[in-house]
Amino acid sequence: MQEKVNEVAVTRSERVWYQTVGSKVWYFFNSLTLTIFVLMTLAGSSIFGTVIEQNQQASQYFAAYGEKWTRVILYTGLNDMYHSWWFAALLGVLTMNIIVCTFERFPPKWKGLLANKSPEKFEPRIIDKCSYHQTLNCPGDVKEVRERVLAAFKKKRFKVSSSSREGGHYFYARKGVIGRFGSDVVHISLLLILLGAMVGSYYGYKDFRIVYVGTNMTVPETDFEVRLDKFWIDYYDTGQIRQYNSLLTVIEGEEEVLTKQIWVNEPLFYKGIRFYQSSFGNAWDRINSANMVLVSKKTRMAEGSEFTVGWNEVKQIPGSRYSIRLAGYTADFAYDERNNTVFSQTAEANNPAISVEVYEGERLVSTPWLFLKYPGIFPAIPDSEYDLVFTDYRGILYSGISLNKDPGTNIVWLGTGVMGLGFILAFFVFHRRVWVYVRENGGSTEVKLGGLTNKNNFVLEKDIKEIVENINAG
Amino acid sequence: MILSLVFFSFSFAFYILTALLYLGNWVFQKKWLGQLATSMAVVALFSTTMILIMRAGESGHAPFSNLYESMVLFVWATNLGYLMMEYKYKFKTAGAFVMSFEFLAMLSATMLPYRYKSVEPLNPALQNKWHWMVDLFSRFGLEKYAIGWLDFHVFTTFIGYAAFAISFGLAIMFLLKNRYETRGRNNALIGSLPEARMIDELSYRAIAWGFPFLAVGIVTGAIWANSAWGAYWTWDPKETWSLITWFIYAAYLHARVTRGWRGRKAAYLSIAGFLAVIFLYWGVSFVLPGLHAYA
Repeated sequence: MQEKVNEVAVTRSERVWYQTVGSKVWYFFNSLTLTIFVLMTLAGSSIFGTVIEQNQQASQYFAAYGEKWTRVILYTGLNDMYHSWWFAALLGVLTMNIIVCTFERFPPKWKGLLANKSPEKFEPRIIDKCSYHQTLNCPGDVKEVRERVLAAFKKKRFKVSSSSREGGHYFYARKGVIGRFGSDVVHISLLLILLGAMVGSYYGYKDFRIVYVGTNMTVPETDFEVRLDKFWIDYYDTGQIRQYNSLLTVIEGEEEVLTKQIWVNEPLFYKGIRFYQSSFGNAWDRINSANMVLVSKKTRMAEGSEFTVGWNEVKQIPGSRYSIRLAGYTADFAYDERNNTVFSQTAEANNPAISVEVYEGERLVSTPWLFLKYPGIFPAIPDSEYDLVFTDYRGILYSGISLNKDPGTNIVWLGTGVMGLGFILAFFVFHRRVWVYVRENGGSTEVKLGGLTNKNNFVLEKDIKEIVENINAG
Repeated sequence: MILSLVFFSFSFAFYILTALLYLGNWVFQKKWLGQLATSMAVVALFSTTMILIMRAGESGHAPFSNLYESMVLFVWATNLGYLMMEYKYKFKTAGAFVMSFEFLAMLSATMLPYRYKSVEPLNPALQNKWHWMVDLFSRFGLEKYAIGWLDFHVFTTFIGYAAFAISFGLAIMFLLKNRYETRGRNNALIGSLPEARMIDELSYRAIAWGFPFLAVGIVTGAIWANSAWGAYWTWDPKETWSLITWFIYAAYLHARVTRGWRGRKAAYLSIAGFLAVIFLYWGVSFVLPGLHAYA
């Protein structure tokens, strides 16, 4: 005994330290407790990401949670938790867990299922140990009953192998062995999906562009550009938006390669990049045209009729010595005193204002801002009996287009396909094994059957019941 | 007269009746009550099918576009799933649990605020149809009836939900039965339930159905998102909660199949899973902001 202990001690000490560590790590990952723990941790921690809004400014967390919790959120990466190191680490542990468990369990399962084929290897008494077993006495001689048993199993599409020894006949019948590998297929599919997601996040990118009709957008990492030819909105009769559409043309060098209409749910795919119609909106820094009217400073009455000026267009004001150019627009006027510039506070048209250049003949006389909501607060033309009032405008819609390059997508789809196959095997193909022993028993024939299944006992019971009926019916 | 509402009212009455009949069958153990309960469940199933068909006719699209419609789909799928189970395994006491639950689901559908019920035209993101189907149907002028990933997504997801609901009902039955079995007490009502072992097995079978269907629902949702939102996965709250639910049931399957974690613990996990389903379905729509806010 002492010797044996020493032997073990020697083999232990002969292992190099990294082998010891390696086997400990392997043992750690070869654990279903770990699987359950990781799955529940992933489930539990994911809740945080749905409750705490992701990818917000620090100030917003500050307003919602206070200083202390904001610090916690930023420190733990809960503001972008699905891309945090610890979430990635959990997925990594799950991956290792899957890989190690597959390596550990698949080969013996494979061997075991192959080795189990032989009917010579079982003793009649193991039949009684099966979860479902039965003994029948059939009239007729052994040979005839043996044929009936074989036929009954064949009818239920079981594979049967048989042998005879010591006056008895032994059968091993089985069906649906491939169902045993369903779980392995599902596990491999999960690895594929994770691989696809990784490829996507390393080699892909996401981008968003605001595009105006007639302009091109550049596409990162490619040699082509895309031009927006047209943007329009379709409406239902009720006035609700039915769909919004962009007509895009791919331009490579000087050549127009392809034109396609895209809409929500119908992206353009070109050279690995997808272009999505993702939003639209009113431009905040340009308009199509503005309507104005010349008024008398004294009476505030209109002098002449309302006129329209197009963007960047110079126009003679009807019935006057002035002409005007529409030079700028801002949707939500704000003035920055520090650097003396005008900007739009928001993208909404809360305080629309236009910037115009007023000419008298060829001479530039003023460059005022005119406000839609506050007509006349600043005189538009100094030293003149006239003033200009901004009455209306026609905005420009922009098309919001998302760009997405994700070379991992196809791997993900492959993974989901494999997963579907795996599920069919795992949940809807049952491995059923039935052992049968037939022998002579005082004039009649005794048939002992016992069956095992990996999953659905009811299906096995039903199978055996029908087989027994078939044997009895002959 | 909106026919879908007429069928809804009828169905509501049918589900009350069905639930009462199954309860009656459980309490009084009369064969004719059981048969009547099953036929009533079939009538209710037919009536629920009619709600969906009429609704599709009224709105001009598959009836899966708001919370009310999805509730009806949920009730329909649960009823169908239950009847299949009853037919296959021949036991009716579960009907008392499942049909009472159906009644509650119908009740909550009637109590939804109007904006979750009204017939709305599809917004741009929901217009997702298979090209080949549109092409095929347009030959006969039926392109309106073509479906797409979205419909497939909602449909498979709700089959999953229905299976989880059935498993939840069975888990509760199991806990009741198990309590009496382990304490060796006797009670006519509890005694008439099938063996705990069998309830446990059926509860597992229901999850074994729901789990792949939820997975297919998540995947088809991802395919749809890939053409509507610009990426197959965006960690939107609904997506994340579907994954949370899926993880819980994955843990259930691993615990059960491989470690023999059956019986009470499995029943508790099934209940936890279904609570996640309820939050995934209702909680996310009402509490959390996100792209799925419409259903």
